[in-house]
Amino acid sequence: MAAPAISIPAPSSKTESYVDNKRKEDIRQANIVAARAVADAVRTSLGPKGMDKMISIANGEVIITNDGATILNKMEVLQPAAKMLVELSKSQDAAAGDGTTTVVVIAGALLKQSLSLLSAGIHPTVISDSLHKAAIKAIDVLTAMAVPVELSDRESLIKSASTSLNSKVVSQYSTLLAPLAVDAVLSVVDPAKPDLVDLRDIKIVKKLGGTVDDTEMVRGLVFDKKVSHAAGGPTRVENAKIAVIQFQISPPKTDIEQSIVVSDYTQMDRILKEERNYILGMIKRIRATGCNVLLIQKSILRDAVTDLSLHYLAKAKILVVKDVERDDIEFITKTLNCLPIANIEHFRAEKLGYADLVEEASVGEGKIVKITGIKDMGRTTNVLVRGSNQLVIDEAERSLHDALCVVRCLVNKRFFIAGGGAPEIELARQLGAWAKVLHGMGGYCVRSFAEALEVIPYTLAENAGLNPIAIVTELRNKHAQGEINAGINVRKGQITNILEENVVQPLLVSTSAITQATECVRMILKIDDIVTVR
Amino acid sequence: MAIERIFKDEASEEKGERARMASFVGAMAIADLVKTTLGPKGMDKILQSTGRGREVTVTNDGATILKSLHIDNAAAKVLVDISKVQDDEVGDGTTSVVVLAGELLREAEKLVAAKIHPMTIISGYRMAAECARHALLQKVVDNKEDAEKFRSDLMRIAMTTLSSKILCQDKDHFAKLAVDAVMRLKGSTNLESIQIIKKPGGSLKDSFLDEGFILDKKIGIGQPKRIENANILVANTAMDTDKVKIYGARVRVDSMSKVAQIEGAEKEKMREKVQKIIAHGINCFVNRQLIYNFPEELFADAGILAIEHADFDGIERLALVTGGEIASTFDNPETVKLGHCKLIEEIMIGEDKLIRFSGVEMGQACTIVLRGASHHVLDEAERSLHDALCVLSQTVNDSRVLFGGGWPEMIMAKEVDELARKTPGKKSHAIEAFSRALLAIPTIIADNAGLDSAELVAQLRAEHHKEGCNAGIDVISGSVGDMAELGISEAFKVKQAVLLSATEAAEMILRVDEIITCAPRQRENRIHAWKMICTSFHQGGNFVPILTS
Repeated sequence: MAAPAISIPAPSSKTESYVDNKRKEDIRQANIVAARAVADAVRTSLGPKGMDKMISIANGEVIITNDGATILNKMEVLQPAAKMLVELSKSQDAAAGDGTTTVVVIAGALLKQSLSLLSAGIHPTVISDSLHKAAIKAIDVLTAMAVPVELSDRESLIKSASTSLNSKVVSQYSTLLAPLAVDAVLSVVDPAKPDLVDLRDIKIVKKLGGTVDDTEMVRGLVFDKKVSHAAGGPTRVENAKIAVIQFQISPPKTDIEQSIVVSDYTQMDRILKEERNYILGMIKRIRATGCNVLLIQKSILRDAVTDLSLHYLAKAKILVVKDVERDDIEFITKTLNCLPIANIEHFRAEKLGYADLVEEASVGEGKIVKITGIKDMGRTTNVLVRGSNQLVIDEAERSLHDALCVVRCLVNKRFFIAGGGAPEIELARQLGAWAKVLHGMGGYCVRSFAEALEVIPYTLAENAGLNPIAIVTELRNKHAQGEINAGINVRKGQITNILEENVVQPLLVSTSAITQATECVRMILKIDDIVTVR
Repeated sequence: MAIERIFKDEASEEKGERARMASFVGAMAIADLVKTTLGPKGMDKILQSTGRGREVTVTNDGATILKSLHIDNAAAKVLVDISKVQDDEVGDGTTSVVVLAGELLREAEKLVAAKIHPMTIISGYRMAAECARHALLQKVVDNKEDAEKFRSDLMRIAMTTLSSKILCQDKDHFAKLAVDAVMRLKGSTNLESIQIIKKPGGSLKDSFLDEGFILDKKIGIGQPKRIENANILVANTAMDTDKVKIYGARVRVDSMSKVAQIEGAEKEKMREKVQKIIAHGINCFVNRQLIYNFPEELFADAGILAIEHADFDGIERLALVTGGEIASTFDNPETVKLGHCKLIEEIMIGEDKLIRFSGVEMGQACTIVLRGASHHVLDEAERSLHDALCVLSQTVNDSRVLFGGGWPEMIMAKEVDELARKTPGKKSHAIEAFSRALLAIPTIIADNAGLDSAELVAQLRAEHHKEGCNAGIDVISGSVGDMAELGISEAFKVKQAVLLSATEAAEMILRVDEIITCAPRQRENRIHAWKMICTSFHQGGNFVPILTS
């Protein structure tokens, strides 16, 4: 038995009233230190002037990113409490999509304060309870600061999307990407369910070549594939009738293993002829419905098309795209407003989709297929992301995802709030004031948490190369005078009214960051032992 | 006088005092490990797996902690077992039972040191346990007759159980959830029909109870997304071609058209099967296995909602709640029992789409959807809610209720003390010790909350000297409080199970006077090791082979 047995301490005598809590304190301290180390690792990537991290993965691949969730996800942390912070960033990603760095930095700051509270001899559950109370109060404060926004107010939506993009590598393209993100999200909002946005309805296609400038939103469908064509096949079809098929245009194949016995020369000829007829028969049926574009689902069992069938399809002037993934079928059928066809017998005109134009376009080195002008198009959207190298494209995709999430947050909860550290400093001020009216240890704890929240403006200033202490004190001063929207203007390097600077973010991102960070910190505080189990 | 070795190499034997000490120490170590999780201000533990992925679990649940430990001490294993049994039987009190057993052994150790025979201690403990149970029985409150009061009892029990868990901040919300769910069961203790779905995102407060069944699957493409008055066929069948399952079977033909024919025939078979299924007069088909493109299209054409790849748990439960049977052949439509429900529709929770079956045949069924920040939170929330549901469903059957907050322990301790005074002989020492062990529970609750336990327990004891006292430890304000006013209640069944199984476990460990450890299996030589296992079986040894990779 290689498994370590639990260590059995000597039975401590119960007669003494003093309980030895050394081990528990040690565990708690170790947890907090580890979690803070994680928070410190991503701290420098916060804000518009935050730095990027280069992560080289074990298999030699390199990622350059500014996205907290991605950095933490790739960091292979082992310490359990540190893992919880990684999880925290993931869940912020799921809930709000943006603010993944912020949430970890806040959690780190709260832990730092908790550590000093613990060393002052305050019981962890007291700290945990006050933290909960403070979080509820913080949400109230944030909600009071929020400004309502209408979905018709495109300008405001773009402002908040560009705030999110400003901290990324692709910040110089924010004027392009922000409206794109807003339009993409708004185009998939179903008027029947105005509060719901399913980001799966937005498909991001990445294609190497060009620059991020060339990124575009396509009202229609884009495939990162070539048209499969033999000599003379069409690569551009107008007034397309599109069929999504889940069968293959190739010689028949049974599920049971098969073999064709050829005993003489004449038979061989016949078989070849039969194959030809079989395929021709299929194509004739397809042609009969007027279909001129085929999208063929990928099959692992047999070839989607053979040279022979391609040849005939080319003659029939049918454009073919093969190897469509099964997972994409739903998206495609939804977009084209058609039904998938699983058998040649069911090939009927009413199952087809219609589009004005299907064409193969060459983009950079490769080629893509674009379907535009779809009749009765479903509520879906495609975004074609371009970039000069794979790293940029990947980062652009991640940034775009964040921007999409930001817009989605605004659709879900139609409020936004000032950025640039303004909400945090206001929280710190109001919580600090509130702490003074609280009784007992709660008040002491809440005051520490209020101070902890100042980490966001502090870090923003620090990352921007400003003097953090001067900036934060000035900010405090401004807020004390009632300018609740005063924040750090990183571009100008001074304090301004941040709402006027168009630096806004959705309320949901801030509230979710506060609740998730406190929930995580409370969980870490409540832990007093790490037990190794099987 | 030198005695030949009786045992094989490496096998060891511990006798008498040493054996007893070893089991005491092991049991107490286990009890000490979990005792910090006791009570509303108990702490959590991180369980770090040594397995692949080094997964991390954060928990406060005694049973979960204990069952995942590596243990190499016989007595400790007994305690883990009683915690498991407590979990299966009543669902809650898994920590209390271990802590009480540990305290009983701690007291027994002192008595043994004072040269009192283990058997005397055992008989004393037995008398004390019986007396304690009586004391509880006299104090129970039963509100079964009054539905209103009974419900408020249930709410209190749920809140008390949840207050020591992660859900404590939203305990009102979850207590209501749990009580509603259990009340729907109408007295059955079958928790199967309460389904718990975990969806990350949102906060714990967003969790809700849904009167119906939710399946975390997708509806096939091009099929109706909403069906009223659904007839559901639940099946476990392969929807691809019925393959000839003989190895090496193959088709031998001499022309391409024949291959096409066979392919056509295969398709035809699939179609036939689908036709047969449709002939059941259904409009919803749920299959455990994959439904391929071709049948999916056929179903779509027939306007039938088909759900593929519903996991095993999913279809069993679905069959249970809709009142259908799981079918795998479709030749006799009249014999197959279909499931029914009023409405099937797609709903969206967080980012995911799920399918809801509402108005199901079995009215007891419901689904609790848990939302929370991360997987850790959700897993722990599920465990906590499960505890609450267990306790509540037990209480619905046995509606006797006690106060909580250390109140039952004080009542028992008082009665046991009385008994000790009346009992002549050495036994009285053991009975007294039992009462001290009982007092340890309120002491630990107070200790965990960072309160002055000695002071509080002394105050509590003084309070309990009065008749009809409801005093217990109010952890929130850190003083002695009235449990009736604070609304802290516990189920009698849980307390009784804690008392009796802890006593039994302590008794069992006390009886031990020799521990024989069998020789470990040799690692280097597998064949040799196997021989050893075989021989040890032949010799009637209790060698438990442990599979190591």
